[in-house]
Amino acid sequence: MKTLLMTGILLALSGASAVKVGVLLPLSGAGSVSGQAARSGYQLALDEINKAGGVLGKPLELEFADDGSAPAKAVPEFVKLVTVEKVDFMAGGVSSATSIAISGPAKQYGTFMAWIGAAAVPVEDAFADHPYFFHYHPWSYYNFEAILGYFKYLKTYKKAKNIAIAYEDGPFGSAGIDATVDAFRKAGFNVVMTEKFKTGSGNFGPLVSKAKAAKPDILYWVGYDTDALPLATEIKQQNLQLGLLYGTPPSWPVGFEKNKLADNVAGLSLWLSTSPNKDSRAFVAAYRKKFGTVTDEYFAPLAYVNLKTLAAAINRAGTTDKAKVAAEMAKTNVSTPFGQLTFSPSLKTKYQGFKAGNWLHFQYLGDARVPVYPIKFAQKSMVYGK
Amino acid sequence: MDLFMQTLVNGLLQSGLYALVASGLALAVGVVGIVNFAHGEYLMIGAFLAWAGSAFLGVDPLLSLPVIAVAVFAIGALTYRVSIRHVLLAPELNQMLLTFGLGILLQNLALMLLGGNTRTVSTPYQASSLQLGDLSVGGPKALAFGLAALLLAALYGVLYRTTLGRQMRAVAQNRRGAQLIGINVDRVYLIAFGVSCALAAVAGVLVSVLLFASPTVGLVFALKAFAIIVMAGLGNLTGVLWASVLLGVSEALVQTYVPGGGGWSDAVFFLMIFGTLVLRSFRGAR
Repeated sequence: MKTLLMTGILLALSGASAVKVGVLLPLSGAGSVSGQAARSGYQLALDEINKAGGVLGKPLELEFADDGSAPAKAVPEFVKLVTVEKVDFMAGGVSSATSIAISGPAKQYGTFMAWIGAAAVPVEDAFADHPYFFHYHPWSYYNFEAILGYFKYLKTYKKAKNIAIAYEDGPFGSAGIDATVDAFRKAGFNVVMTEKFKTGSGNFGPLVSKAKAAKPDILYWVGYDTDALPLATEIKQQNLQLGLLYGTPPSWPVGFEKNKLADNVAGLSLWLSTSPNKDSRAFVAAYRKKFGTVTDEYFAPLAYVNLKTLAAAINRAGTTDKAKVAAEMAKTNVSTPFGQLTFSPSLKTKYQGFKAGNWLHFQYLGDARVPVYPIKFAQKSMVYGK
Repeated sequence: MDLFMQTLVNGLLQSGLYALVASGLALAVGVVGIVNFAHGEYLMIGAFLAWAGSAFLGVDPLLSLPVIAVAVFAIGALTYRVSIRHVLLAPELNQMLLTFGLGILLQNLALMLLGGNTRTVSTPYQASSLQLGDLSVGGPKALAFGLAALLLAALYGVLYRTTLGRQMRAVAQNRRGAQLIGINVDRVYLIAFGVSCALAAVAGVLVSVLLFASPTVGLVFALKAFAIIVMAGLGNLTGVLWASVLLGVSEALVQTYVPGGGGWSDAVFFLMIFGTLVLRSFRGAR
């Protein structure tokens, strides 16, 4: 308490204006679970940063804006943060569609972007020539590399051969779907169904009927949290026999683990709160202290790491000059709840943070998300339905 | 053949939800004469109330349904008293702007109070289904269909067999004439608008069981309901069920048999609105 008071007094006496970071997140709409988890991560990091003296001897300030998971709302919010609020740096970003939409103004204003989400390859294309774009989240081909590794394991040990794919028709689900199908086929799988759906419509009856006729071992769906329960419900109602229902939404519905229909549903996550990693345990403890709960949404620690590394780079640069901060960001080498973070080139962008090796595969088992693959991280044996 | 039959069943079951939402909208349009763009938000209120009852009080959404219907009737009646009645004689554009704004207000209130998270309920019958050979008939959706048919029949009965119903039809036909013969038009409008909102809330309760509750959950269904009432003819309650079945089955057929049909399903209702309007104008010209 005393330290906090002293820090506050020193920051106030410095009379300095704050360093401002704009944070654009989907606090409402399809990506809101991820967006709200990320906001909590940012708030926790902000507390710690300011408690430790702020940035460049000044307090760090966050300006949150809600992109509503909609490109049409994201663009004016982004432009407002940059031109009216005059933020020094931009952070946040979850949805691929909104990130593509703001790529134009970001390049126009030469905005410094420390970006946590947006996995679709069109986002990588859009920011390929942007000198201040630091991307933390793995690109979709890294995600797919991890998924393919897991499915190959299921092919070898569970005889999983037939895959049905259900994907939402926005950039998140659709971008790269042809490459996904090709990669599955090259890996020796039969892709027995490839179907689009409208996210949030909840109308999965016809899709599940088609899947039933195709007799898949794995149903792989790429959509959002709103699709999880309706899809699981329809599968159960139509008695579709699967080895595995595997989904890759950025987040899962609140309380999904408590629903019986979630049993054995599998998914992909960069992080789980049960991770034994030292930084993860520290994050979980700090999060519990601040919010009184624990989260399993990886966007919370991702946002936390995002702001902490950005603040550290500004401090090392000794200035808010974008080029100098970018040079320091590029040297980032820190341990995080996800493992070591460094930036290296991806296929098209210069500064890519986490890659394929950071992903975990989990299953809903007994009201919790339990890591089941890679085997060295597995806490329980996976349940395979066939 | 199995896939075809299952597709028909899927479409039929989906149409139950559509009919529930559309019946309330049809009542507001037919009796009060107002296109309520906030109709989906009353569905959202019903879904959130069902979720809250389940999450905080442990009450099954279906058991809380009558209470929620009454509560949302009261909210609807209050909405009428505070806002709708003041624009009934205003130009249609003003009416639309009011209800559109009301929808945005309710959605953002939900966002402020509850956040944007998707909320789900857990019930033992959520995934129940009746297996008829290879055909699966989902329990909650079948219930929605049955409930829609029942409520529409009840509504029809009220409109054609009761004094209140006769008053509603009289007001719908000629507001001033009804006033002249001593009908309390304001009271009739209040009841009709309240019932319309309550019907949306009933659909919302079922949506909370079948899908989820979120501030934007009503939008998808409200759009479909608009397509249905256009197809049925504005204010035509009996046409609502058939138009809902037509829309639900058409969507299911497109989703199953058109390559990439899942991405085209939203186009179905726009095509139906377009087709209906063209057909009506063609008939009118003759």
